Amino acid sequence: MSLDCCGPGYASPAEAMQAPREKLLYTIALYVGTGIQKPDYLATIDADPDSPTYSQVIHRCEMPGIGDELHHMGWNACSSCHGDAGMSRDYLIVPGVRSSNLHIVDVATDPRAPRIHKVIEGKEIKAKTNLSAPHTVHCLGSEIIISMLGDAQGNAPGGYLHLDKDFNILGRWENSMGDIPFGYDFWYQPRHNVMVSSEWAAPNTFMPGFDLEEVGHLKYGRRLHLWDFEKKEPMQTMYLGEDGLIPLEVRFHHDPASTHGFCGAALSANIIHWWKDDAGEWQWEKVVDVENEPHPEWPIPIPGVISVILLSMDDRFLYLCNWLHGDIRQYNIEDPHNPVLTGQVWMGGLLNRAPEVNGMRITGGPQMIQMSLDGKRLYVTTSLFSTWDNQFYPDIRTNGGVMLMVNCDTENGGMEIDPDFGVNFGNEPNGPSRCHETRYPGGDCTSDIWL
Amino acid sequence: MTEQTITLANRDGATYRVDRRKPLLDSLRDQGVDLPFGCKYGGCITCAAKLVEGEVDQRAQVALNNRQLGNGYVILCVARPVTDCTFEIGVESHDKLYRNPFTDRLEPHELKADIATPLASTPPSRSEAVGENRGKDAS
Repeated sequence: MSLDCCGPGYASPAEAMQAPREKLLYTIALYVGTGIQKPDYLATIDADPDSPTYSQVIHRCEMPGIGDELHHMGWNACSSCHGDAGMSRDYLIVPGVRSSNLHIVDVATDPRAPRIHKVIEGKEIKAKTNLSAPHTVHCLGSEIIISMLGDAQGNAPGGYLHLDKDFNILGRWENSMGDIPFGYDFWYQPRHNVMVSSEWAAPNTFMPGFDLEEVGHLKYGRRLHLWDFEKKEPMQTMYLGEDGLIPLEVRFHHDPASTHGFCGAALSANIIHWWKDDAGEWQWEKVVDVENEPHPEWPIPIPGVISVILLSMDDRFLYLCNWLHGDIRQYNIEDPHNPVLTGQVWMGGLLNRAPEVNGMRITGGPQMIQMSLDGKRLYVTTSLFSTWDNQFYPDIRTNGGVMLMVNCDTENGGMEIDPDFGVNFGNEPNGPSRCHETRYPGGDCTSDIWL
Repeated sequence: MTEQTITLANRDGATYRVDRRKPLLDSLRDQGVDLPFGCKYGGCITCAAKLVEGEVDQRAQVALNNRQLGNGYVILCVARPVTDCTFEIGVESHDKLYRNPFTDRLEPHELKADIATPLASTPPSRSEAVGENRGKDAS
């Protein structure tokens, strides 16, 4: 853990890997789209193997209203302000994609029972910034920026919402969106004065569900954008074309000196690698291509649909989920130009390879993942987005989502689903809910950035 | 006339008098009907209901494709009743709202309005186009 003299997080990725094991997980759970007229909530899950309530939901922090569609979330502070003793990692910012509400959740007062600290209403955000549909949250030193995927009417490209450390709206973060057509995820690497952003679609396009034909009508993204981070404006676009249809999660190496990063292109089911070459030019290449798989009832082979990627804290392994196929893969990326497949496990999915795991029926496929700081445990959930769940896995409405834990071999590579851990959100007290993104109180592999 | 009667077929035929100038979601929720909703600007489909009978004005919706419109779906957060209407509400009415986009493709005329190809019975007539040009010339 951090020294008393210091701010939140860790001095380096290597120090983060020495942190104590995570004992609590915070996971998004949804009722939107299920027919159960209850608010979405933040579930606390006991991840301490020595606890009598291990692998159970031990608290539910309900949002004030229904219809938010909680999705991704982020911390008020991370290792980027490790040197600021005035900051601490006390709050999760939990946005509603549909409502545009931002819920500031206090996880410090009682880490087992988070509570709502403040709500920034979507209508205030729309009125002050003409933005809606919040997605990725990153702290930025002591401030916070959030990618907003639409304008107040749900049209692309949206922009970036800027909050101060007390969660007041400062306005738009970016000085220009340039000719960026869509927003989604972003990550920054301050030593190189660079930010990268990816493209999903306009909220009015993706929120109602996925129409494949809209990809051909250029309603979905196929580019990555590099930003001049200090100038807060785009500087270069990488057009990925057919190799990069619907590029979603972007991850720079945790090593702040590195220029390498990766993106999962969901529909193309490719991993895109980018880096700055010796001449100082940014380059990209496709390094993983997941083959489409035949299915007896489908007219065309099923694409993997890589819904998420994650890098271990030591940047040695890349993990990806093929949400429609049903597998999680581990690649050794010590040579980032040549990833090597080192592990694979199956859960759910449309290929019917693992309809039941640990005695639980799996509806949906592996979707959001979060990794322990030491790289040995990967927590995985099954719901992607309520309307898309309803299209591809309609039974999730009555069965709910599940969370599993995958043990990862960080020496030789390899993965195994842990037989003793499983959270069945189908058994929740208010009825089956769907689980999505996970974070840990001490920081995690998809939040911390080093200056 | 400023009010219409709304009947909810799958709520034992319960009826409500609503202001035809207000979105149906607001009118019905104000009278205690428990309805799902999300974005409240007509973009996210969460509040969709199925119109069984009647007519609505939902020009402000941007979520539905033409197949969903053809199946009677209405975005309650922006729709206003033009006549008395009967609806099926809630996710029980969503049987035709969601489809697997790979196994059940949309025809060009079934896409959303801004990209749909109209089901043209006759191709645009050449003489009309010429006529337009003539009109411009004449002015």
